[in-house]
Amino acid sequence: MRLRVGLIVIAMVLSVFGVRLVQLQGLDPKAYAARADAAGLVKLPLPATRGEITDRNGVPLAESVSGLMIFADPQRTRPNAEKIARILANRLELDYFDVLDALRKSNGAGKPDLRFAYVARRVPEATALAAVAAVKKAGFQGVDTRPDPVRFYPAKDVGANLLGFLGADGKPLAGLEMMFEKQLAGKDGSESYEVGGGNRIPLGENTEVKPVNGKDLTLTIDRDVQFYAQRVLRTTVQNSRAESGAAIAIDTKTGDILALADYPSYDANDAGAAPKADRGSRALSNVYEPGSVEKVLTTSALIDAGKVTPRTRIRVPANLPIGSDVINDYFEHSLIKLTLAGVIAKSSNIGTVLATRQFKPEQLWGYLDKFGLGHRAGIGLAGETRGLLPKPADWTELTQATISFGQGLSVNALQMATAINAVANGGELISPSLIKGRATTGSGVEVGSDVATRHRVISPQAASAAAKMMEMVVTQGAGTAPGAGIPGYRVAGKTGTAQQVGKTCKCYDGSLAVSFAGFAPADDPRFTVYVVIQKPKNGGSGGGTAGPVFRKVMSYLLQKYAVPPTNTPPAALPVEW
Amino acid sequence: MSSLVNPGRVRVPRQAPSAIERARLALVPTRTVRAPRAPFAVLVALLLGAGVVGLLMFNTHMQQASFYATSLQQRADALAAKRQALEMEVARLRDPQQLAAAGRKLGMVVPPVPAFIDLRTGKISGIPTPATSEDTMRITSLPAGLPEEFNKKPRYIKLPPPPAGNSVQTQADDGPASAGGTPAGGRNNSATAR
Repeated sequence: MRLRVGLIVIAMVLSVFGVRLVQLQGLDPKAYAARADAAGLVKLPLPATRGEITDRNGVPLAESVSGLMIFADPQRTRPNAEKIARILANRLELDYFDVLDALRKSNGAGKPDLRFAYVARRVPEATALAAVAAVKKAGFQGVDTRPDPVRFYPAKDVGANLLGFLGADGKPLAGLEMMFEKQLAGKDGSESYEVGGGNRIPLGENTEVKPVNGKDLTLTIDRDVQFYAQRVLRTTVQNSRAESGAAIAIDTKTGDILALADYPSYDANDAGAAPKADRGSRALSNVYEPGSVEKVLTTSALIDAGKVTPRTRIRVPANLPIGSDVINDYFEHSLIKLTLAGVIAKSSNIGTVLATRQFKPEQLWGYLDKFGLGHRAGIGLAGETRGLLPKPADWTELTQATISFGQGLSVNALQMATAINAVANGGELISPSLIKGRATTGSGVEVGSDVATRHRVISPQAASAAAKMMEMVVTQGAGTAPGAGIPGYRVAGKTGTAQQVGKTCKCYDGSLAVSFAGFAPADDPRFTVYVVIQKPKNGGSGGGTAGPVFRKVMSYLLQKYAVPPTNTPPAALPVEW
Repeated sequence: MSSLVNPGRVRVPRQAPSAIERARLALVPTRTVRAPRAPFAVLVALLLGAGVVGLLMFNTHMQQASFYATSLQQRADALAAKRQALEMEVARLRDPQQLAAAGRKLGMVVPPVPAFIDLRTGKISGIPTPATSEDTMRITSLPAGLPEEFNKKPRYIKLPPPPAGNSVQTQADDGPASAGGTPAGGRNNSATAR
């Protein structure tokens, strides 16, 4: 009897087990397995570290640091909001009332209570952890952190117009950050392991996919020069109440862009605060009529073609009627006798037009085309413009005349700097580079100093003759910009004051673009600097406004790179006859 | 098994009784020589115990190591964060803006003309020129314009010409309006100074 009862009990228990077994294994085994795994399994993304962007000397211009976001659970922080806010505001250098608002945030009466409010985003890890620990130590709950990577631009606005910035979600929104996203971003990995009580279970399940960190991007920019150029430019733009400005410094022999300054600029750490128009590089995107700086290209082309020499004598009348239009010089004069060097030194439009009459439209167009006008330089940034160089078939006599002195065609600042650099570099044009070495943009184009191209535009003799004429520009008593000269050095330069077409009236509305291009030392150029100030409101001129910027940036370059004066006698060309 | 179940089927050959007599086997008293049980039991128990204890110790040790690893990892993370914070601090201090401001504070100025001394020969190249205020640049940003709130355009309200008898009343009304303007101006000034 006892045996039977026992047997029945055992059978019942076993059948219960059986049913449970079928339930677990037969009906939905995977869901249970997954639940079992999830109970103790921790899955962590292993974010790849974004590559740095450094200057030519390896100084970081943009770097990634691990950061945290600090958030509050207002439901739990509201009762002690004042005390918590005081701790957080002190530790994180935030506004006390902003923090207080976050700690007390609610969805409004009647709605479910808010459980999440940002206190601060992208706080460096050490600071954030210390702040939250301080809150916990003081005995308050409801403040916590989550990973929130920080992109840090140590020099703030230095190079910001080139670097670009990342959005709140860590996606690049502008500049080099966007163009070289593929190289910089790297690939995130992941890690999963089992934990018990916060500790990893040894011999437990454990997988790891290592992240592939992003590669660094090295620029040809020199941070110190970039900083100096930006400050000088800002001072000048603000003092002349101009709309904007750009300054470009190029290493003559290599085409490396040492500085590409834009103003207005912005702090890349806080890009959202800046107007959208200020976040790109105007030096690359803004097109304008270059004005008299272009005369250097025209005359050096004429010399290269053997049509003129710097000593060619030109009678310059008071004005020059072409069809129904009249071409004037910026200064009043009766008939004057200038040499070609004098035409450049005094920046005579009429003299340039007269000299250029020896060219057919195709010839002048051919030279300007080779100087890179109307072509994108392709340094690896989005928003680079092509400029506008009308086709010679469309030229009238007036078109050729105005183009010869830099009106009726449009360029961006980098194109102009590159063209002048070709004259400095003995007539050979080097495509400018912003990336040191080589790198591939998002659209698959390889750019950088390793893939820079060179082609001859004018002969070395023509380039040297043009340089000598440009020396006269900064010569006291002879040229338009004695203030741009650097005592002790031979400096070649050219001023430009160009009328600009207004946005609304499509006509010359009286606004100007004043510019200065030059290189030094004139007989063995090391650096080319181009400065353009858009729409100054203090009656600025190329020599008076842009010239001093050129001089300061050039002096700084010569000093920083320890370029001694060449100690050769300066050019002394006759300007009049 | 089958022989047990069907013994009848086994054919046993007949044999002579004497032979059977001779062959009768006598039961030998069983010799119960048994190996002593205790040592074996002890050995097994020992082995088992040692195994269990060993495994336990091994596991404990692993756990201990895991705790230690976790705490070390936390320390490493904290130190890495600290290092990063310090590096950021260094980067901030190396910022050219910071250096320029520090230099300016020490009374340093930008040289207008580059000049060099060759320390081996004492030869000076370039023209040494004293710096003037002409050569300075503004390193700090101009104060930003006042926010809209502080810089509101004055609002003009055209009132109907008051009746002749109320002219004194009107002047009294003007008083507070202009007084209200003064604090606003004061706030403007303080904002600019900042």
